[in-house]
Amino acid sequence: MNRREFLRDVMFWSAGLSISIPRLSIAEVFAATPPSPYLAIEKGVDYIKLVEQVLASLGGMNKYVRPGDRVVIKPNIGWDRSPKQAANTNPVVVKALVEHALEAGAAKVLVFDRTCNEKRRCYKNSGIEDALKSLKNRKVRHEHIDNRKFIPVEIKRGKALTRMEIYRDALEADSYINVPVAKHHSLSTLTLGLKNSMGVIGGNRGQMHHNLGQKLADLATVIQPTLTIIDATKILLRNGPQGGNVKDVKRTDTILASTDPVAADAYATTLFGLKPTDIKSTVAAYQLGLGEMDIEKMQILSSTV
Amino acid sequence: MPPSKRNISFVFRRRFSQTVFLLLFFFLFIKTDYSGSDQLEYAVNILFRIDPFLAACVMLAVKGFVSLMLPALGLIILTLLLGRFFCGWVCPMGALIDLFHPLFRSRTKKTDTLYPQLSYTILFFVLAGAFFGLPLAGYLDPFSILVRGLSLSVHPALNQGATSFFTFTYQEAPGFVNAVTEPVYAFLKKTILPFDQKVYSLSLLSAFILFAVFLAELIQRRFFCRNICPLGALLGLNARLGFLKGHGGSNDCKKCRTCRSVCRMGAINEDRHIAMEDCTLCMDCLEKCPRDMITFKYTHSIHPPEPVSITRRAIVASIAGGAILPLFTGSRSLAKTPDPFLIRPPGALPEKKFLRRCVRCGECMKVCIGNALHPTFLEAGIEGMFSPTVRARIGYCEFNCTLCGQVCPTGALQVLQLPAKHIYKIGHAFFDKNRCLPYAKGIPCIVCEEHCPTPDKAIKFNTKIVKNDRGESVEVKQPYIVDNLCIGCGICENKCPLHDKPAVYITSAGEERNSESKLPETTSGYY
Repeated sequence: MNRREFLRDVMFWSAGLSISIPRLSIAEVFAATPPSPYLAIEKGVDYIKLVEQVLASLGGMNKYVRPGDRVVIKPNIGWDRSPKQAANTNPVVVKALVEHALEAGAAKVLVFDRTCNEKRRCYKNSGIEDALKSLKNRKVRHEHIDNRKFIPVEIKRGKALTRMEIYRDALEADSYINVPVAKHHSLSTLTLGLKNSMGVIGGNRGQMHHNLGQKLADLATVIQPTLTIIDATKILLRNGPQGGNVKDVKRTDTILASTDPVAADAYATTLFGLKPTDIKSTVAAYQLGLGEMDIEKMQILSSTV
Repeated sequence: MPPSKRNISFVFRRRFSQTVFLLLFFFLFIKTDYSGSDQLEYAVNILFRIDPFLAACVMLAVKGFVSLMLPALGLIILTLLLGRFFCGWVCPMGALIDLFHPLFRSRTKKTDTLYPQLSYTILFFVLAGAFFGLPLAGYLDPFSILVRGLSLSVHPALNQGATSFFTFTYQEAPGFVNAVTEPVYAFLKKTILPFDQKVYSLSLLSAFILFAVFLAELIQRRFFCRNICPLGALLGLNARLGFLKGHGGSNDCKKCRTCRSVCRMGAINEDRHIAMEDCTLCMDCLEKCPRDMITFKYTHSIHPPEPVSITRRAIVASIAGGAILPLFTGSRSLAKTPDPFLIRPPGALPEKKFLRRCVRCGECMKVCIGNALHPTFLEAGIEGMFSPTVRARIGYCEFNCTLCGQVCPTGALQVLQLPAKHIYKIGHAFFDKNRCLPYAKGIPCIVCEEHCPTPDKAIKFNTKIVKNDRGESVEVKQPYIVDNLCIGCGICENKCPLHDKPAVYITSAGEERNSESKLPETTSGYY
């Protein structure tokens, strides 16, 4: 029985009865963190090429998506903002990643986010819906969040969180690719990969803000992306996380990728002139052993930087 | 062609027409929603704009011409030519009443209209009220009742039913069932179901009023249309002056009076005279008449004036009522202290002008993408019931959305272009520092600041070291409002993570449409 079958069976046999809410705990991978995680970083104005390069540096998409896989690509589509306002992941980057996943033989590519503004406006005005529609491929889905699909999950290693409702598609994915946009956020200083995982949780998300750094790290113990790709093509420096003023946006033309979510966040922090230790969630996740935050200890793979 | 066949085809044509217009109505109803474009694709409010009763009320109220309502003139002209064809062939409310009539068995055998003066009394009362400052049209207009009931209650209920059912199948049924039900659900969501489950204040009352119209069929067929509907009364007065006349039985006929007993409008009297002010040209009498006596013809000559249902005394009394009653509104406490939580949608006219124009159609609430707009109960006075207000705890005003102004059929809400909407102030946010976590508890939060949509955020914060209830010193960000940036959209109130009462809330303070509600200026030194 694999995880998906288990989930399906639990859903089938017990859901609907309040006394038997499925309480799941996701098997955690305790494999020792590799001493030096790889971090691919590329700079340039051709974003499609940047995506290709970072994937190639990490061994190619085939390493992360196997034929027949159900792939989740999770961008930030949180806000009713246009691509040039840099509040959502760049649609060009999302589209390129979906194409790579398809090439690697994905059976289905799901792209979704639990938005903050109205769902349809966010999908539409982020440019992501139109970018995916232009692929005209039935394997690619960009459905809106379906409230029936949130499953309570126990967070065993959590220090501040014990239980969270998590989106079923995210849990069941064979390959989960996290594609945050790097931007300013007043409470967490920046929003990067770990913060982007808030897009797959249900319930009252505002309460995450009380002790946010630790809670994000706790969440990262159960939402472990196969790959984190940080879109720093345009970064929002002020008035985040939704911005709205293009004067707050800086073109950095950078994309970075890693299988280590903490390393990806840590390195992206430097693009804002900050240190990895400035971000509480990075520190908390490092302390939980979820990844590396010391840039000195990362193996940087790049042809342009 | 034998006459009997032609007669049947008239009834068939009428039903066909009713069906087509009903479907068109539902189509426009469903399309009263965001479609991926900032502009609506269809004139979804057209039904309200062809309504001469609403047009008359609005124009009397503003004492001027309202060009948005111009299409109503078309219906007046058509009614002069074709009688009350609208009621029988077009009106969606009438079509629904006819559709559901078989479910109700009328108690009375009486064919005459029970209260023949009532709808006219209502008409003149409401028209006079509109002129003298008591806007009541929305209470009784058939489309207001219908669209409001459907938007606020029936449509959400439909969604509730579908969601419950498909959640059950999704969670309980085996895969092969879901292989069928899930695509069906997806199809329904794409077509007739609302995008999201919305909630509304007064949803049950709106449903009750709508259902009452149908329940009244128990009393008499087309009870609402004959006894209440002020639009029907207005069209009736028009039709009476029109050129189309029905000719009923004569001396040749054998006094069977089948026509009289089948008439759903009580338009045919004992002498089998057809009163055009009541006749909706349903053509039932034409079909049922055993001797094919009944015809409808255009006449050029002016007929001897037919008796009207309403007496002169009743007309005077209803107009006097409409003129006198508004005087009493001046003595309410509301006249001096408006409800601070009455927050009108962006683009709303100043309160008095707004209420006079608003016809309570519910279109703005239906189209409101964030579920922010709700009907008021008594916040705007008894005559303001069902007018829109923002209830930010339920839904907030979406920054980039201008749909409510686009659907308003009367211009009570002005159409705003996006740049104007972005700085349009509908109210103002205030913090309750006794509840706001960084102030009251030393707990970091500022969810409000994160969501504040103005590009230069209207919610800013001071970073402070405070002691929490464990005596620990913690660094928190304490939010505050920048007055000239806040537009009162209410997203802060909506997203405030406190479960019960929010720690930030909006009031109508500083609303742009009211110069008296100006916020105190921090720089002036008076405060």
